[in-house]
Amino acid sequence: MRFIKNIQNSIENNSNYNALCINNTHFTYKDFEIEVKKIRYAIVNTIEASEKLIGLVTNDDIQTYASIIALWLEGKAYVPVNPDTPLDRNYHIFELTKTKHVIDSTKESIYKDYKVINSSALQDLYPDLNPKDFSGDNLAYILFTSGTTGVPKGVPITFNNVEALVDAIDAESEFNLNNKDRCLQMFELTFDFSVVTYLFPLLAGSCMYTIPKGTMKYFYIFKLIKEKKLTVLTMVPSIINYLRPYFPEINEPSVRYCSFGGGALHSDIAKEWSDCLPNCKIFNYYGPTEFTVYSGFYPYQKETHTKAYNGIIAIGTPQKNTLYLIVNENNEEVPIGETGELCLGGPQITPGYWENEERNKQSFFIRNEHGKKIRYYKTGDLCIKDKDHDFLYVGRADFQVKIRGYRVELSEIEFHAKTKSEKKINMVALDVYNELGNAELGLAIESDAFDTNDIFEYMKTKMPSYMIPMHVRFIKEFPHSINGKIDRKELKKHFDIN
Amino acid sequence: MNREDILTKVTNAFSSVLEHTNFELTNETTAEDVDGWESITHMMIITEIEKTFNIKFKLMDLMNMDSVGDLLNTIESELLIN
Repeated sequence: MRFIKNIQNSIENNSNYNALCINNTHFTYKDFEIEVKKIRYAIVNTIEASEKLIGLVTNDDIQTYASIIALWLEGKAYVPVNPDTPLDRNYHIFELTKTKHVIDSTKESIYKDYKVINSSALQDLYPDLNPKDFSGDNLAYILFTSGTTGVPKGVPITFNNVEALVDAIDAESEFNLNNKDRCLQMFELTFDFSVVTYLFPLLAGSCMYTIPKGTMKYFYIFKLIKEKKLTVLTMVPSIINYLRPYFPEINEPSVRYCSFGGGALHSDIAKEWSDCLPNCKIFNYYGPTEFTVYSGFYPYQKETHTKAYNGIIAIGTPQKNTLYLIVNENNEEVPIGETGELCLGGPQITPGYWENEERNKQSFFIRNEHGKKIRYYKTGDLCIKDKDHDFLYVGRADFQVKIRGYRVELSEIEFHAKTKSEKKINMVALDVYNELGNAELGLAIESDAFDTNDIFEYMKTKMPSYMIPMHVRFIKEFPHSINGKIDRKELKKHFDIN
Repeated sequence: MNREDILTKVTNAFSSVLEHTNFELTNETTAEDVDGWESITHMMIITEIEKTFNIKFKLMDLMNMDSVGDLLNTIESELLIN
């Protein structure tokens, strides 16, 4: 694996440079190397060679990042679980992946049913960082996203997938990190966007700055940009929605790149944000977890590149070796200018959802192109290809929404809410928008008002906090559209949250 | 307005946004200690407090606001300016 060899080179060649800054403490690449070697020693000595899927508790510390690299050197995958997510859900994930071993830097691990490597209490060092020889078909990680039936959906990504991502970004001459760069790493490691925010800095010898738990993310990010003079930002658009009331106070010349992804970027706010960062190139990235983070981008420039559809900045063109195809409901290509579902083909495509044949039949298809069989992933995003061959984002085709960058299936929330409810009544989860333009979750209940405390307590044991509805409305009778479906648009009018 | 009056009004702002009164605010209280006080609600609380006291926080103040004590100090100094 070329990219793993390159991580090794970067760690060894940048010993004196900083690799990480966590809660104001810096760690050099030398420090990082030592942690990787300790964890690798423990992996080699306690985990059988046949065990490939290893649990990782995503604490905000150097050991957690070092664990990913130590596992990769051994050709193993990390299965990340967030310590703030209900234990029930995390156990469920480990059951699905048949994980036996968990790496956890927490002093007293709560994963009692597993063989735990306590990564913060290790002594012995593995002699080197030479990557083992292994197949590129091995998995590098599995991430779980919200699923429609209450069961989280696993997306496995292979080393070949990650290699193809690195290869595509390396081919992009507009984006080059170096060992002087200071990069924002604002993402939880269970969120696929984090892969680019730790991997690219590590490959370039840059330093990444994390966000401590318990801080107000958007204000802490601004504090880092200002006080640490960050040069590279990668974020979800909702962050700048929060900061928007304060844009007149922001002028940060240190930032040279700002990449957005994980949600629609609106043109008016992009222009205003661009004014805050006078020396910065802005990239509007697109890509689903199933296609290894990024599949392409649009290079936004407030004067020359402002292409948008319904106020949402274009997603541009596919990156190296990636194919974009827009299809109708029969998976046939639609003409230029027509709306259809965006499908992605190429070496970054996941081998398929984890043990979910039914879902795989729906989400992937094979198409013959010039005598070759190309496998495509159906993103569920509606797009248009315009006459310049740029791709424009239109909206979602289904009931999936983005809450602070996280993908949420509204039906999963409904599933858990209804499970606990004694009364068999209709409940509909909705995305409603606050005055900053960010989506919040609402729960509409077809009933007279009653105490929902039990339902909410139950949901909190089943889903991460970003999936818990913040607004509840009781509606005696749900509005229906002409064809008899619940009229979600009409229901949303009951949520005046501003 | 003395600090106690400010605290009462701040407490009201918290309970109206969070829709519960299951907390006691002291100088040392942080987001960790109050159920539901997180990114989104923080913004709503800030807006509510700005309305209540008829003040406008600066980003520099907000980025260094780690506890209720910091919040009260900032409100006090904003009220002095006004």
